[in-house]
Amino acid sequence: MLHRRIYQFLLIYALGLAGLLAIKYAVGLSDYVIPGATALWRTAGEVIGRYSGDVLDTLGVAVVGQVVSVLLALTIGILGRRTTWFGSFIKVAAYNVQAYPIVAIAPIIFILLGDGFLSRLLIAAMICYFPLLLAVVGIMSEPVPAVEHFYRQTGRMRWQLEVKIRAFENLSKLTTVIAGSATLAMAGTIVAEFIAAGAGIGYSIRIALYQSDLAKILVALFMIGITLSVYQGLLEWLGQVVKRVWAR
Amino acid sequence: MQLTCRHIHFRHPGTDKLLFDDLNLHFKGPGFHAFFGPSGVGKSSLAHIITGRLKADGGEVHFDGARPPLYTHNQERLPDWSGIGRHLERITPAAAMEKKNTLVEVFGLSSLLKHRFSQLSLGQQNRINLVRYLVQDFQVLIMDESLANVDEQMRGRILLTMKAMFPEALFIYISHNVVEVATYCRWIWVLRGWEKAPPAVLVQGRDQLSGQGLDRQGLERTMLEIMNAA
Repeated sequence: MLHRRIYQFLLIYALGLAGLLAIKYAVGLSDYVIPGATALWRTAGEVIGRYSGDVLDTLGVAVVGQVVSVLLALTIGILGRRTTWFGSFIKVAAYNVQAYPIVAIAPIIFILLGDGFLSRLLIAAMICYFPLLLAVVGIMSEPVPAVEHFYRQTGRMRWQLEVKIRAFENLSKLTTVIAGSATLAMAGTIVAEFIAAGAGIGYSIRIALYQSDLAKILVALFMIGITLSVYQGLLEWLGQVVKRVWAR
Repeated sequence: MQLTCRHIHFRHPGTDKLLFDDLNLHFKGPGFHAFFGPSGVGKSSLAHIITGRLKADGGEVHFDGARPPLYTHNQERLPDWSGIGRHLERITPAAAMEKKNTLVEVFGLSSLLKHRFSQLSLGQQNRINLVRYLVQDFQVLIMDESLANVDEQMRGRILLTMKAMFPEALFIYISHNVVEVATYCRWIWVLRGWEKAPPAVLVQGRDQLSGQGLDRQGLERTMLEIMNAA
């Protein structure tokens, strides 16, 4: 699974790069607009060490933001799974808030909290929180009658058991959703860095943008893609391990 | 012990399809009884009304027992995070452990206790599901096609064992197998549909017990009676 993700990314990246180079040579664009393969290779050699540190910095913020989001979404999703007014309120609120582009309120966060770690974390967590919440509420509020029937009939059903049954029955779905939310957390962190932060790969891309250095941006994209592929692959592998251990 | 349904009127929510109109039936005392009738006539819906899972539009269900009727069906699953033996241990009351062991033995499940539910055949799944209901403290158990995937010989063995082990309980067996209900059940309510009068007819079954010979001619008569009523 991990290998497949990396292969897929390398393939897509290579196709994108080939497309860019094809345009460059077809239209006759200068290295200033689209760098050639040699310039790209040279830039990679120059910045790859620094960009590796930057992308790991970004990934660190994204992982913490995602963990916070997952924990929060699980808590709220479990509380909001019932067909009570509170459950309905949670669902309606999540649907409505999710429809709003969270990234648009990022400037307010930077004004209030400055351009440090906390702002990046908050934006990353907010961007991946609402889709996660919707998925968790959906899973947790969907009964599994074939399994739950016995416990309800015999008066054994407790909320912990209900959550356990629904989580177990939807473990693959939960794993996919959590792995997918890694992209959102990473995107949120990069966007935050791109807007105002003073660290991370998003910040480096912003600097490269000001320098109109496409080679640096392409190297940064490569680093982001490969790191994210490894991280998502690890999350999926972890999901499989959890399922295997749980069902042992 | 009496279970009575009086003037039950019911149509599925959101549809015009009438299922019961002034349906009356009762079960008196313990024993093995049945609902019989063609698909869609309302056997499962009536079981749901009796157990309170569905609310009738009119009429009432009266049961004079201390514990509400239990309802089990053949689509149920055990959670797959542990073996079926461990699951049974956890849901069996301490007083019923011996009973559980006997049932596991008679139902032919002894060698499967370490298996997960998903690793069992459909017939084995039906049997383990029924065992976990039988070890509960119940007075009425409605079995909706609970042995649908079990072979005939094993089914007979299970039904005779249940009758011998639970003489104080009232079982309502829902099945499409006319031979089975005619052979093992004491009273059979044949549901005919609301448009027929009366909508349900009571037929006396052979109520075969363990070690008892079967009167073949009597069985054929009963089966004919059931089919005519339906």
